[in-house]
Amino acid sequence: MNFTRRTLGKLAVGLAAATCLMQASAMAQDKPAPFDNPGDVKIALVRYLSTGDFFQAYLSGVEAQAKALGVDLRVLDSRQDAALQADMVDQAIALGVDGIIIQHGLTESMKEAAQRAVDAGIKVVAFDVNVENDKIPQIEQSDRDLARLALEQAVKDNGEDWKAGYVYVAGIAPLDRRDETWREFKAKYPGIEEVAMFGTLDNPIANSVANQARSVLTANPGIQVMFAPYDEFAKGVKIAVDEAGLSSDIKIYSADISTSDIAAMREPGSAWVATAATNPAVVGQVSVRALAQLLAGEEVGKSVIIPPTLITQKDLNDNDIKNMEELSAKLPQFAHADVAISPWIALPGK
Amino acid sequence: MTLRDFAIRYGFLALLVGLVIFFSLATDGFASPQAAVFIFQSVAITGVLALGVTATLVVGGFDLSIGSVATTAMMAAAYVMVIMEQNAFVAVVTCLVIGVVVGLINGYLIVYMRVPDLLATLGMMFLLVGLQRIPTEGRSIATGMTLPDGSTANGTFSAGFLALGRHRFDFFLPNLIPVSVVVLLVLAVLIWFFLEYTRFGRMMYAVGSNPKAAELAGAPVKAYKIWAYVISGVFASIGGILLAARLGRGDIASGNNLLLDSVAAALIGFAVLGAAKPNAFGTAVGALFVGILLQGLTMMNAPYYTQDFVKGAVLVVALVFTFALSNKGRT
Amino acid sequence: MADPVFRIADLRKSFGPTQVLDGVSLELNAGEVTVLMGANGAGKSTLVRIVSGVYDRDGGTITLDGKNFSPASPADAIRAGVVTVHQNINDGVVVALDVATNLTLDRLNGSGARLFFNPRSVRRQAREVAARMGLEVDLNAEISALSLADRQMVAIARAMAHEPKVLILDEPTSSLSSAEANRLFEVVDRLRERGVAILYISHRMSDIRRLADRIVTLRDGRITGTFNSKPLDYEGAVNAMLGQTIHRAEIAARDGAHTIFSAEHLRIADHARPFSLGLGDGEIVAITGLVGVGKTALAETLFGVRAPLGGMMNLNGNAYAPQSTAEAIKAGVFLVAKDRAESGIIKDFNLYENLSLPFLDRISRLSVVPRRTERAVAREAISELGIVCRTERDDMATLSGGNQQKVMVARWMSQPASLFILDEPFQGVDIAARRDIANKLRESARGRATLIFVTELDEALETADRILVMSEHTIVGEHRNADVDIDRLLAEIAGQNLKGAA
Repeated sequence: MNFTRRTLGKLAVGLAAATCLMQASAMAQDKPAPFDNPGDVKIALVRYLSTGDFFQAYLSGVEAQAKALGVDLRVLDSRQDAALQADMVDQAIALGVDGIIIQHGLTESMKEAAQRAVDAGIKVVAFDVNVENDKIPQIEQSDRDLARLALEQAVKDNGEDWKAGYVYVAGIAPLDRRDETWREFKAKYPGIEEVAMFGTLDNPIANSVANQARSVLTANPGIQVMFAPYDEFAKGVKIAVDEAGLSSDIKIYSADISTSDIAAMREPGSAWVATAATNPAVVGQVSVRALAQLLAGEEVGKSVIIPPTLITQKDLNDNDIKNMEELSAKLPQFAHADVAISPWIALPGK
Repeated sequence: MTLRDFAIRYGFLALLVGLVIFFSLATDGFASPQAAVFIFQSVAITGVLALGVTATLVVGGFDLSIGSVATTAMMAAAYVMVIMEQNAFVAVVTCLVIGVVVGLINGYLIVYMRVPDLLATLGMMFLLVGLQRIPTEGRSIATGMTLPDGSTANGTFSAGFLALGRHRFDFFLPNLIPVSVVVLLVLAVLIWFFLEYTRFGRMMYAVGSNPKAAELAGAPVKAYKIWAYVISGVFASIGGILLAARLGRGDIASGNNLLLDSVAAALIGFAVLGAAKPNAFGTAVGALFVGILLQGLTMMNAPYYTQDFVKGAVLVVALVFTFALSNKGRT
Repeated sequence: MADPVFRIADLRKSFGPTQVLDGVSLELNAGEVTVLMGANGAGKSTLVRIVSGVYDRDGGTITLDGKNFSPASPADAIRAGVVTVHQNINDGVVVALDVATNLTLDRLNGSGARLFFNPRSVRRQAREVAARMGLEVDLNAEISALSLADRQMVAIARAMAHEPKVLILDEPTSSLSSAEANRLFEVVDRLRERGVAILYISHRMSDIRRLADRIVTLRDGRITGTFNSKPLDYEGAVNAMLGQTIHRAEIAARDGAHTIFSAEHLRIADHARPFSLGLGDGEIVAITGLVGVGKTALAETLFGVRAPLGGMMNLNGNAYAPQSTAEAIKAGVFLVAKDRAESGIIKDFNLYENLSLPFLDRISRLSVVPRRTERAVAREAISELGIVCRTERDDMATLSGGNQQKVMVARWMSQPASLFILDEPFQGVDIAARRDIANKLRESARGRATLIFVTELDEALETADRILVMSEHTIVGEHRNADVDIDRLLAEIAGQNLKGAA
């Protein structure tokens, strides 16, 4: 019995080794270590936020790029539990992963966990959370660029003199960054007059914002432009504008996009004319590529910024785009970002 | 009638009138039929939920699950139309069935499993918040969305269903009154009549005030309690239908703000006309009160956190009216 | 005889216009069990609450060991050496804690208590307390895991940890089985041997026979009898407690016409002897007996609140086995329940809404309640029964006890009954209202059988045509209210024919 089992075991080890060698020899020429043997590369995605369309799409991007690279991806989801997220980094260290992507989280809870991972010789990138570590590149979608693109379009469409309603809730980091750009714009174009500012995060957000926007529209009949730099806000404003029968008098500019946003923008006579967005799936892909570059010893830089795309109602109608997949397919600048590209990295879907 | 009695009875209504006058003077456009209709529209959904929770308050219970019942109904309506590609009728019926089933389960847990009402409905709330995410793996539902199996959802919200949120009836002015306001008013009158004038309503009050005495007077106490939760569930699902029709998609949401606003409306209702008990008229006035206050403040550009503060302050004042000033609060 | 340890003299207390204690004097001797007997409302609870420091007294003196005793709070009374174990067992223990903590709970409070809680010293102290009392309960057990008797023992042991001179036990056996009660009696015996003066409040005859050295009876806030000499005169004590001294023979006892309700071999409690019962048209039958002998259980059985353990019931010639109160009402059996505040009055409802409650379905049209009819019915009841109120829309809280009770009776008289049951209809009711209700019952008795459950013998003698006596969950005697043999009646109430049953 013993003899047989041992023999079988040796045989299996031998076979496995031979397979690996064969694979390695086939790939080794064009890929840097450790990606000459990508099946042995383990990376972990440690998430803080996971529910919602954006985070689903982000995950699909991470998965697609990991698959294209052929690496082993583990997803650890703390579901908005900051302490658990830090524990999960330790868990990933214990699993012996080579790289970690930290997706969102709180600086206070993640800073030390990230340092522990770096100390353990693990490469780390962070998306949308500042872990205050020089060794950890920041993956960012540029909120300032998002706001800038949308506002430039607003100026292009409406000139430099208009009355604006602005939707904003302070204390949310991306919204605060978008707000900075809005202030700059107001300073740059003195003809832009902000007659009302409102906003709420009471869920369902669109319903609550719609209620507020109705009041604002009643109190300020002259509003020409609504700047709602978050798509949930924009949906609410659109409902209110429709209900007030002002769809032809007001234009809505926003940030972010989703399948239902596309439908809302394409409704006949929709007031929602443009949005600036980064494709969350692309952000996911870039996160993995940046990590891969780090693992391969390439220079990544302190921050990796994914440029946003301006999407207008006209683009959507001209290309008959109905959902996010078609948006990616028909607007190439949205489907792909030339960020964190190396010749040896295979891109998903190509 | 002493001044105190007068204050208890008409204080809140006087405050309401005072607010309307104040906002009419302080802002442009508040005193118009459109603004009035709009205020009704802004409170339609929470108002419907509040009327439902009033039924559970009447029998001495409480329903924390109404917010999540509403958002679950909204998701279900979107799922039925967008993914299963069914018509508006099927969507509405599905929502109502969800309301009835949730109400029956809540009632069963509370009456037969003896789980305290707050805990049973809290559990149901969590359960529903999770349940509404399962079919779509946590995604919101909209036409053209990609399903977990990779295919695309081709159904749309039918025009008939969207009309529930968008159609307006002519009333003196063309296109004035939205369907949701009509629904609110009809349900408010129905539940008011049911609670005040039918023997079932009277018995529900008896059950809430003294269940033992009600049972000894021949009332099937358990059945009345379960019915109250069914009413609450159905009203919450109607609120969900209106929400889905307004938003035109299925949004992942816990509905906690809906819950808090509607409970606040029902509790403010205690103070109206010095009732010192849950009542449909008071609930409707309470919802309207919150609506007037919030819309007026928004029109004056007050930021959202001051609105939460004001909402809380109104609730506290209403509760003081109910419990400290009214003699009925004492034994 | 040595001076009494504890002496109450001319104690007075009133709540508003009601004089609850009207000059009570009572002495307790060391090493002696004094039983205090009194019907409901006699003032026992008030007496206990004054002695235990819950209420202030209006007048009179209390001395302990010859010194003035005026406790400002329950804690004060305990420190002085007067300890009370209250009727509700769970008032004496903290259910969320374990036995050891309960036994030493009182040391956690007060000025001498330490800031930190030391589990080890708690256990040590608890062991001492338990050993002194012979308490055989696991000190680590949670109270919630103990039987009622064990909880009672813990409560008493906890009380005894203070080394009291006077121990007051307020109806300690009311929720105990007879085996559990025997354990309690042993503890009382031990305390008596140690020289504690014990006041034992009960109207369970078996307890009293087992424990009493003396019996004192309280009635309407006055001591009506003191029985010292052995053998104790139990019948005399019951007599003194019920105050059966003025028997008005103004009732012209009627005989029931044809039988409306009958019960055969009815059994309403485990181990209780089955009994039969027949009630005739037009007669009023009173069932009397001490508290806790099953009167309410019988009333609830007849009304469909609980099912009988055995036997058959028959109403108007048909088998009668109601599954719910609704079925009973439908069959024409109505109950005016005991304790109107707890099980009768809907506090949030006004007078006419309270009145119409059981028959909403009968007066409603298309389920809509016609307020005009309700109010008319209420106005009629107000004049018929002489309910003193401003209008039929009055809040129930504004009515006096007697008028509240009239509303409760009127509630059930607005529709014709086959069997009309009233459980303690005269409780907390003044004499005038009591007469009004009794007269109304007698006037309207024709066409139905009427059954009233009363603890007070007077009430039975004043109202009924026939009196049945209940004891130990069965019927032990029957008397036509014309030439009542009061001695035999009292003996039956006192459970004489069941002597030695405990």
